[in-house]
Amino acid sequence: MNLFRSEEHIARWLGGREPGATITVTKLSELAFAWWDDRVAPDWTPHTREQNQAVLDRLGLVGEFWRLG
Amino acid sequence: MDLDLRRRTYAFMVETGRAPQAEELGDRDEVLSGWRELHDAHALVLNPATDEIRMLNPFSTVPSAFRVHARDRWWYANCAWDAFGVCACLHVDGRVEASCADCGEPIAVEVRDGLPDDESLLFHVLVPASHWWDDIVFT
Repeated sequence: MNLFRSEEHIARWLGGREPGATITVTKLSELAFAWWDDRVAPDWTPHTREQNQAVLDRLGLVGEFWRLG
Repeated sequence: MDLDLRRRTYAFMVETGRAPQAEELGDRDEVLSGWRELHDAHALVLNPATDEIRMLNPFSTVPSAFRVHARDRWWYANCAWDAFGVCACLHVDGRVEASCADCGEPIAVEVRDGLPDDESLLFHVLVPASHWWDDIVFT
């Protein structure tokens, strides 16, 4: 789960490996703020897989790659 | 799952900027037993060799390539996602410092109101979501 300066840098880093998924850092920040918002809240309770999947879905991160186990 | 132990563990991290040792939260054996249950539930990550806390996601308890300045302190995060997560869970603006995983050029991003000030950067995740917890340190 890394940051890159461009698609060209990702391709070079992959070096022929099968790519995963690429999103903009703006989308990443949206994801992080949706995912981690309550993590240190005193009343935190575990998120279900369905709740977590809903976060991904809401941000348009859909498809087999983004399907949680 | 001992949610009170989890709450006290995270509160210690947020208050002090470091993970607690087991004995700092109570009886060592009881705390370690509780942490192991939390580890199995993916609520924290232990170092399997030492039983010390390795990750209090999004925080890394060991130095990493992802540093975040937030709430007047430097934190380490486990990955780029978690780096933004530090600002998210603390509900503050911050500064993420990392480097391009390809070329190593330093990257610094200011996070204001949940948004980065450099929209040109990209995030790549290699491992499909269904396998993130197969090896969370690698992920």
